[in-house]
Amino acid sequence: MEGQAKPTRRSKVTGLQDAARLARGALEGRPELCLGGLFKQSRPVALVRALLATGADGLHVYSSPGAGYDVDLMIAAGAVAQVFIPGVTLENRLCPNFRRAVEAGQVTAHALDALTVVGGLMASAHGVPFQPIDALRGSDVLKHNPLLQEIDCPFSGRRIHAVGPIRPRVTFLHAQEADRWGNLRHLSTMVYADQLMARASDMVIASVDRIVPDEVVLDDPSRVTVPSHYVDAVVEVPYGAHPTASFPNYAMDEEHIDAYADLGDAARTGDSTGLDAYITRHLTEPKNQSDYIEAVGGTGYFAVLEAEARNE
Amino acid sequence: MSAAVSPIEQMVVVLARDLADGELGAAGAAALVPMAAIALARELHAPNLTVGGEMFFNPEPGRLYPSMLDDRALGRCEAAETFVELFGHSHHGLDFFFHSGLQHDVYGNINLHHVGGTLHAPKMRGPGAANLSYCHTSSRYYICPTVHTARNFVETVDFITIPGHLSGPAAKRDAGLVNEGPRLVVTPRAVMEFDKTTLRMQLKSVHGGNTPKEVQRHTGFDLAIRGEVPQTRPPTEEELRVLRERIDISGALRA
Repeated sequence: MEGQAKPTRRSKVTGLQDAARLARGALEGRPELCLGGLFKQSRPVALVRALLATGADGLHVYSSPGAGYDVDLMIAAGAVAQVFIPGVTLENRLCPNFRRAVEAGQVTAHALDALTVVGGLMASAHGVPFQPIDALRGSDVLKHNPLLQEIDCPFSGRRIHAVGPIRPRVTFLHAQEADRWGNLRHLSTMVYADQLMARASDMVIASVDRIVPDEVVLDDPSRVTVPSHYVDAVVEVPYGAHPTASFPNYAMDEEHIDAYADLGDAARTGDSTGLDAYITRHLTEPKNQSDYIEAVGGTGYFAVLEAEARNE
Repeated sequence: MSAAVSPIEQMVVVLARDLADGELGAAGAAALVPMAAIALARELHAPNLTVGGEMFFNPEPGRLYPSMLDDRALGRCEAAETFVELFGHSHHGLDFFFHSGLQHDVYGNINLHHVGGTLHAPKMRGPGAANLSYCHTSSRYYICPTVHTARNFVETVDFITIPGHLSGPAAKRDAGLVNEGPRLVVTPRAVMEFDKTTLRMQLKSVHGGNTPKEVQRHTGFDLAIRGEVPQTRPPTEEELRVLRERIDISGALRA
């Protein structure tokens, strides 16, 4: 074997812009994008911004059952055609651009529920043609939900629901750590639907707070939340979930989101200058994450969010 | 306890009293009031009450946060789950759950989707709701919005996101809603319950500082007031002390 080099395993570590181009290309065939995290936690916002910078549009957006800032920003940037997310809210207030665009008929927001979305992802992840659901009664959502069918249960004969596989073309996740092969480690308390989405999707791209040495994964394999088998690319992005949280490393930036929502509400009621300036400052002008961090307030600003995450 | 009882504290106490030891339940989306109620019940009379069904078990938040759905509030808990387990809990059901919306109607139906227009051409589009199943699969639920006006308490909602008692017993039976559904409606002004025969909402008690007439004026349908309406039993010294000293240390319920 003298002289024959050992073949090398391919690292999945990618740059942010390359990851966005990869996603953009994949989404051209089928524009179904899915976002990990939940509401203001562990949302892959830097990946979303990078995708928006490529000029992506006409997207069908999926998520765990609750989303807010990121979907609203994508709508503000004109990138979304349809929303398949049961709850779209900033929690303490409504999503201004979501609301404006749906009321104006520019974006279709489907009436859905958590079990339809989770069940559809389960069917896809498990490789079965549908997932039965037997917990939905009496809601008008059932009259409008485009993903559900009524079926007769072959065992009890009862009328129940079925949802077909939801197979996102691309899923963006945010985790706290990964190794270079793409093994993800969520260090946050909750992992939401991230593991399910990773198994349900054609392509998975993850941002992480830091890439760790191989030994970190090998020394504690039960801590891996998403095995690299499911992950196509991994990007180290400092504060890549901002303005959402990446616990335990940094908390959500409630003030930033609130200020954004004020600008969105002003745009909704006729004055879009503030929102336009926000998009220029945070989306158009930054060439990379360092520029974005500066635009938001610099590393000193983020130290406050780090302290907040430690409950200081 | 020198400081006056806030309307939100009164809500928390009413809800806490109705939760029993040994039950399993969760707080729902607008979680501040429900989480405080659950915590108070666990401190006072329900030490074996389990918080579960929303991807975490028995959180110990330390203080209340406006959104109780984040790691600051829930990071200290006994166990974490994912949406896969939430799928199972949603089918098996809980003992209790909490809901509130943009509109609530006389049968306790809740709207979170749109006010005016239609779903796809709404005058005002709401947030929707993440999980609808607990209203049907849980033994009972509570409606606890933190505002009570004639605009959010309407005769008929524009869209039923969360079914209450639909249009009464027959409709509820036809839809296959086999559990109790909404039991109490607790607001900053009053407590409402549902008539056992018609399942229409009626005034049960008014909080201190409110009159039945005022509550009726702030409600968009007939609250079936007949005769004397009692005052809601105010928090006891013990309830208020535990609530303020052990649960709501930051005063979020008095803000």
